[in-house]
Amino acid sequence: MTALTSARTKRRIAPYLFVAPFVAVFLAFSIYPLIFTARLSFTNWRGFGAAEWVGWDNYTYLLGNAGFWSSLGNSSVLWMLIIPVQLVLALLAAVLLNNSKLRLRGFYRVAFIVPFVTPLVAIAQIWVVVFDQNYGAVNGLLNIIGLPDVGWLTTSEWSKPTLALLFIWKTTGFIVLILLSGLQSIDASVYEAASLDGASPARKLWSMTVPLLRRTIMFAVILQTLAVFQMFAEPFVVTQGGPYGSTTTAGYYLYNHITRADLGTGAANSFLLVIIVMALSLVFVRLLRAKD
Amino acid sequence: MQQHQPRRPAPIRRVLVLGLAASLVLGVTACGPSINEPSADADGARLQAPSDKSPSGEITIWDRSGDLFEVFDAAIADFNEVYPDITVNHEAVDIDAKLQNTLITGTDVPDGVFLDDAKVAGLADSLWDVSDVLAPYVDDIAEQKIDVNSINGGVYGVPYDSNPGLLYYNAAALEAAGVDPTQIETYDDLLEAAREYQAAVPGSQPIHLEQSAYLGQLQLEMYASQLGTSVADAEGELRLDSPEYEQILTFLDTVQKDGLGTRAEYLNPTDIAQLESGSQVFYPWAIWFSFATQQLLPETAGDWRAMPLPAWEDGGAQSGAMGGSSFVLPRDGENSELAWLFYEFLMFDEAGYTAVWGPNDVYPAGLNTSIPSYGPAADPAAPLFGPVPELGNQDLWAVATAASSEIPPAVPTPSWWAGAVDYLGNNLQRMLDGEMTPQEVLKTSSTDITSNLIDRQ
Repeated sequence: MTALTSARTKRRIAPYLFVAPFVAVFLAFSIYPLIFTARLSFTNWRGFGAAEWVGWDNYTYLLGNAGFWSSLGNSSVLWMLIIPVQLVLALLAAVLLNNSKLRLRGFYRVAFIVPFVTPLVAIAQIWVVVFDQNYGAVNGLLNIIGLPDVGWLTTSEWSKPTLALLFIWKTTGFIVLILLSGLQSIDASVYEAASLDGASPARKLWSMTVPLLRRTIMFAVILQTLAVFQMFAEPFVVTQGGPYGSTTTAGYYLYNHITRADLGTGAANSFLLVIIVMALSLVFVRLLRAKD
Repeated sequence: MQQHQPRRPAPIRRVLVLGLAASLVLGVTACGPSINEPSADADGARLQAPSDKSPSGEITIWDRSGDLFEVFDAAIADFNEVYPDITVNHEAVDIDAKLQNTLITGTDVPDGVFLDDAKVAGLADSLWDVSDVLAPYVDDIAEQKIDVNSINGGVYGVPYDSNPGLLYYNAAALEAAGVDPTQIETYDDLLEAAREYQAAVPGSQPIHLEQSAYLGQLQLEMYASQLGTSVADAEGELRLDSPEYEQILTFLDTVQKDGLGTRAEYLNPTDIAQLESGSQVFYPWAIWFSFATQQLLPETAGDWRAMPLPAWEDGGAQSGAMGGSSFVLPRDGENSELAWLFYEFLMFDEAGYTAVWGPNDVYPAGLNTSIPSYGPAADPAAPLFGPVPELGNQDLWAVATAASSEIPPAVPTPSWWAGAVDYLGNNLQRMLDGEMTPQEVLKTSSTDITSNLIDRQ
């Protein structure tokens, strides 16, 4: 009877012991920072000494602050410049790379992923030189065909498209990989049946591939939405958020509070950002479900 | 056939789990900063020199990576000749990224750190007040350097260098165009010289206009320092909307509107090309621009010279401070008093400052991108670095020490200075784009800095 009880107890405890390491790490690196940040967002703590409770002050300051809304606006514009273009490019590339008749397929797959694994700082240095207003290669090419110089990184009008281009160039390879994995899960017989019905490649792409990849595409959109709204490294190394804050993304704006040791406002800003990004993700998930 | 239903947790177990979770949450929230307690009293934190005659121990010193790290690293051997029992762990660190977090967490805090003067005030709560240890030297240190490190009567940094603003000019290009730079005594003269040069070299854009918001603001503060003012007064009150700033901005606006300026970021490809082509021939900047003449301008090396800045009015100061650094000693460092001995040696001992600014492996002719802020080390008659070949063998030491003595007294740099770049730095660029007038820059920036930075301190 005692042995039976002991075995039963062990069986009951075992699952908890198995998940304990994860729970410990989750508590230490997710729950604790979350609660700490929540508490911090209601204080004016600057890193040293005692923190003063300021209630909702940090939130009301941010919600009434033009800089906060401008950073969200910048991220939204970047989202619109990046996501549609990137999806189309990645889809076309993935379809091509999925074609078993394509020669040097392995080479192209590696080539697409190289920008993604190249350190951003190295790329940024090249970007700054190539897009220099007076001596950059891009304006050099424009001049050859009779077009005037463009202030790619020095004017508010062009800084966002230039940054979007950098982001697209750097991360499209990753989206291609995601879509490629989705494509490879589609049964080849579906395409064979369509071919027998006389469907053209364009028709197959639009009427079969895209609908069958809808979940994968939505997953990519959610991932990239998170990445665009949290985008920090690109503006940090290329434009430092300028000119005139035109490339200060939501993530970069948050960082500004941290560098000024305004940790309470930074914490409040990060919570607002979490709410916005979660809301956007929920919208996409809803859209996905509605189609199902 | 019996179906297995998923077992629901018993009420008692559920209560236990919820209780455990609640305890965890409460326990976790107890960690972190205390709320509504009196803040740490910085007044009692005055560093004292060690009384031991043969001090011993280990110190960790943080410096930026690069040439200065190599220079300080080489000086450690000289330090150990005086203090053989102190081991220096010299680390190259991204100080801007790491120091604040390290001070907040209090983990692995270094004993001494190289820091921009503009950042000292923001971290003063966690630094030693070095007033007492500096007392024997303070009368011989450039007043401006003590001023920028002073907060509420304490001094929180050991002054390192002095960075006088100078007017670098392309002597060969000016001579070819028939422009005599020795006639430039005021900024009006500079405008006139630029017009003359442009008339002789059509299409040229003689005067540098900084396009980086941060460096543009730093240069603006150099001009303001010349006029004895700065963005905030000794009490930290904003004083931007003033006749002095309006005078400076009007000058910059004139340079831009009259087409006399090269608008470029400091030493970016456009800037370098304009300097090398002879289009941009006047560069009002800190002494550290000498680095560019030595390493980035091979085409015009030897053509450049330096002179004191023009004055804003006849007889006015001919230099202002632009940038500068100091050494700070975190209170949580294990051997701060030994780190003080290290800095005392480097800055105030002849063997130390000679090792830093004199000829060394990194700078064979000596470190000529700054001069010491300690008077006896910056003796015009006893240069630590030699003539600079890229400046036509000009005695930059003599020019810089003379200019340094012209810098008016200053006040502490407010902790929000770097944050002001989002407002003042950006608005300055908007003015150069023709979108704002000087008056609008001052009024808008004052309002924004007050509501977004000062009121939120």
